[in-house]
Amino acid sequence: MKNYFQNLYKWIDERVQLQSLVEFMGEKYVPVHRHSIWYYFGGISLFLFIIQVVTGILLLMYYKGSEDLAFESIHFIMSKVEFGWLIRSIHSWAANLFILAVFIHMFSVYFSRAYRKPREITWLTGMLMFFMALAFGFSGYLLPWNELAFFATKVGTDITTAIPLIGRPIMEFMRGGEDVTGATLSRFFGFHIAIFPGIFTVLLTIHLLLVQRQGMSEPLFIEDEEKYEKKKMPFFPNFLLRDLLLWLIVLNILAILAVFFPWELGTKADPFAPAPAGIKPEWYFLFMFQTLKYIPANIWFIEGEIFGVLLFGIAGILWTLVPFWDRKSSRGERNRFINYIGIFVVIYIILLTILGWLT
Amino acid sequence: MRKVIIIIILSFITSFHVFSQVKVDQCLECHKAIGDQPSTLFKNDIHRLKGITCSGCHGGDSTSDDMEKAMSKTSGFIGVPKGDNVSKVCTNCHSNAQIMVKEYNSALPWNQEALLAQSVHGRLSISGKERIVRCTTCHNTHGIVRVKDPSSPIYPVNLPKTCSKCHSDAKYMRTYNPALPVDQLNKYRTSEHGILNAKGDPKVAECASCHGSHEIRSAKDVKSKVYAINLPKTCSICHSNSNYMRGYNIPSDQFEKYSNSVHGKLLLGKNDFSAPACNDCHGNHSATPPGVESISKVCGSCHALNAELFASSPHKKAFDQKKLPECETCHGNHEIITATDKLLGVQNGAVCKWCHGDKPESKAFQTAKSMRELRDRLVNEEKKALLLINDAEQKGIEISDAKFKLRDAKQALFESRTMVHSFDQSKFREIIDKGLNVTAFVNQDVSSSIDDYFFRRWGLGISSLIITIVAVSLYLYIKRIERKQKSTV
Amino acid sequence: MTEKERESKRLFLKTILYGSLTAFSASILYPIYKFLKPPQQTEVEVSSIKAANISDIEKDSGTMVRFGNKPALLIRNANGDFKAFSATCTHLDCTVQYRKDKGIIWCTCHNGQYDLNGRNIGGPPPRPLEEFRVVIKGGEIFISKNV
Repeated sequence: MKNYFQNLYKWIDERVQLQSLVEFMGEKYVPVHRHSIWYYFGGISLFLFIIQVVTGILLLMYYKGSEDLAFESIHFIMSKVEFGWLIRSIHSWAANLFILAVFIHMFSVYFSRAYRKPREITWLTGMLMFFMALAFGFSGYLLPWNELAFFATKVGTDITTAIPLIGRPIMEFMRGGEDVTGATLSRFFGFHIAIFPGIFTVLLTIHLLLVQRQGMSEPLFIEDEEKYEKKKMPFFPNFLLRDLLLWLIVLNILAILAVFFPWELGTKADPFAPAPAGIKPEWYFLFMFQTLKYIPANIWFIEGEIFGVLLFGIAGILWTLVPFWDRKSSRGERNRFINYIGIFVVIYIILLTILGWLT
Repeated sequence: MRKVIIIIILSFITSFHVFSQVKVDQCLECHKAIGDQPSTLFKNDIHRLKGITCSGCHGGDSTSDDMEKAMSKTSGFIGVPKGDNVSKVCTNCHSNAQIMVKEYNSALPWNQEALLAQSVHGRLSISGKERIVRCTTCHNTHGIVRVKDPSSPIYPVNLPKTCSKCHSDAKYMRTYNPALPVDQLNKYRTSEHGILNAKGDPKVAECASCHGSHEIRSAKDVKSKVYAINLPKTCSICHSNSNYMRGYNIPSDQFEKYSNSVHGKLLLGKNDFSAPACNDCHGNHSATPPGVESISKVCGSCHALNAELFASSPHKKAFDQKKLPECETCHGNHEIITATDKLLGVQNGAVCKWCHGDKPESKAFQTAKSMRELRDRLVNEEKKALLLINDAEQKGIEISDAKFKLRDAKQALFESRTMVHSFDQSKFREIIDKGLNVTAFVNQDVSSSIDDYFFRRWGLGISSLIITIVAVSLYLYIKRIERKQKSTV
Repeated sequence: MTEKERESKRLFLKTILYGSLTAFSASILYPIYKFLKPPQQTEVEVSSIKAANISDIEKDSGTMVRFGNKPALLIRNANGDFKAFSATCTHLDCTVQYRKDKGIIWCTCHNGQYDLNGRNIGGPPPRPLEEFRVVIKGGEIFISKNV
């Protein structure tokens, strides 16, 4: 058995010169300190993304993306296809866990200032992937074409009109027309399975290559502490195996969720019926949705909704550009300000999500 | 001779005195002399017998024999009242409780005018100047007698003719309500009530008994005595009174029975107008119990399929021969209870047993037995299916397809109830089999879905176990590697 | 611990690891394989608020469609106009049908009759049939609940 693998390796190496790559990989080390645990969240995000791709492809075998067949095809998957319930529920749960994981991953990178030089591009690609994750969630949510999704999409795409000048064209582009119709569904389906995965894969490749090339970033304080000995563990096989172990546990959690909390299907969307009361978006959009509710109808001469959208837009841009305005961290200095902003943002998001959920 | 003359003169003087004390109705005296109709009729009028003079209605001075004085406006003479003024004259006394009770000690009601105003007859006539009827329309003008007087136009025996004066006149009725029929009197004369009424029986129902007298409302009016929901009570006023009905040789418990029946409970309890009242089966004006052969047509006017099936079944000939009423024999007439499976079969309480119970080898007995057995089977299977579906739903399993399919089983149950009336075993079996196919499919489908539910949990358990073993062994492997690394450092 | 014991322990661990890994792969691959195998009913049944294409429905005819979990009756009258009703009889929930010969909607269970506007005109049904909204968009007929 071992001989077989060795021969295979030699065959490939003679053609591709794997040896140098293997040596490089063998020298990768991961820092070990009291905050190492956060290092795993990137891997968890990756694992969940892979799960999404696999279950997504499987679902593609039976899902039909047109207005009159979407709902029925998912009903079909849930009730008639063997293990269809499992694949579909895993896909839905993993989507939510994926977004949760990328939230945690992003904040852990932020707080540990891992975005500082030389890892700006890693941060940028990561932020873009974060926005794409939300876009994945938004587009995928509509695909079952059920009542909740239909109206959530309606409200969500409506909000884009608040962007001045280009808001309306953007909304029509997203909806494939003026209203949410079968055209919207086709469009979202195309986004969800082709366009977004394509872009995301490019970003992911850059991101992973950079991580491999540059190695894991260490938190700043490590350099300060004298009694600290730089502990490290090799990426191969230690960190990888530990990562895999964690992945196994996450997989098990997904299975448990799928069996005990199967994802609901709801009722089919009826464009001609009125919206049910209390429509709200999925939890990851809730804090923004709730914020919009609290903004008064008019602030100075700007309409409240436009103000809210612009506010979040500017906040997002500033957050994405943090490596460029946080000069102190690039120089290796402690920057308490970053902590304060970060804590404020985290608490704000959590608080408003809870408020949005309760009302 | 002189004595005789004095006695004659004295008696004249005294009689003159006596006469002068008595209230002589001078109006009547003069008009009697003319010999006109009012005065002739007024002779028997009850008002005259009560001491009311012509001026009681017409005004004027009835003590004066001077026409000018008696019929002068100053003495209150109003001449011949026209239109609603006629009724006004009547109500001057008849709506005045003081006059009616205190002065004349009358037991008559004094609300006739009020009732009339709200009734259908109280509406304006074509001319628009007066009501459709006046008091005198029905009660006569000058020869008014008590209702109990056989010569009164509203004496029960005479009343139908009085009403039909207008109500059988097609041309006249057309001007008011072209949709209203004008054949009530003809129909009435064919009914039991009409026949007895024509024979002179004042106890039987006539127009006023059901429709009322002053308070007549349209049958569509909720307050009408013949409004569908009120009608059974109206009929029962006579028909449930066993004292009143003595001598007519019909039972007096129909209303009680009807109230307990499925029709009665629907109409009286739930206000469901699809259920029949007394008149829907017996007719309104031509009220007669439906005959032996015609009863299935009467029931069949709503229960069409059952009647049709019965008519082509072997029971029709048999029942006709035995002179048995078709639907009524098994279902009753007034106390029709909801048909349940209890009526079907050969066990105690089943109606089939009455005739067929003594010949267990007969085809009829076998048919009855098997129909009941088949129904019981389908009922049980459907119950089983419903329990399974409920169980599945409790567990959160998706079985909407099966639920939809099960509707067909319920439909088969309904259709089979109707098909009983064909008394044809093969036709019945066909329908039941249709239902049984559905329940078999549903039971199997839902059972496998429920099995799947448990399978999932078992599957999770096993997979979790495998994953745990992998995780633990992986962890031990990691530990081993790290130990090795440490030892080589 | 002696070398032999360590060796046997290592072997034991290895077996467990590889064995459970195999079982693990099987528990992943088996569901995926079953998932991909086509189920009995190979395609999704078309039943939706899109009832039919205009070209499929003849004049003066009635078609049954499934509206969610309930049956619906789509009628095209002689003029070509479309009407849709819940096909559940308001008497005792049997499924009604269109009777071209009688020009009415008829219920087989107890001879209930409805006119082509869904109004109950004969027999035991106490209420008219629930009417659905028919919308024609681009040659297709959509049925939705009336609100």
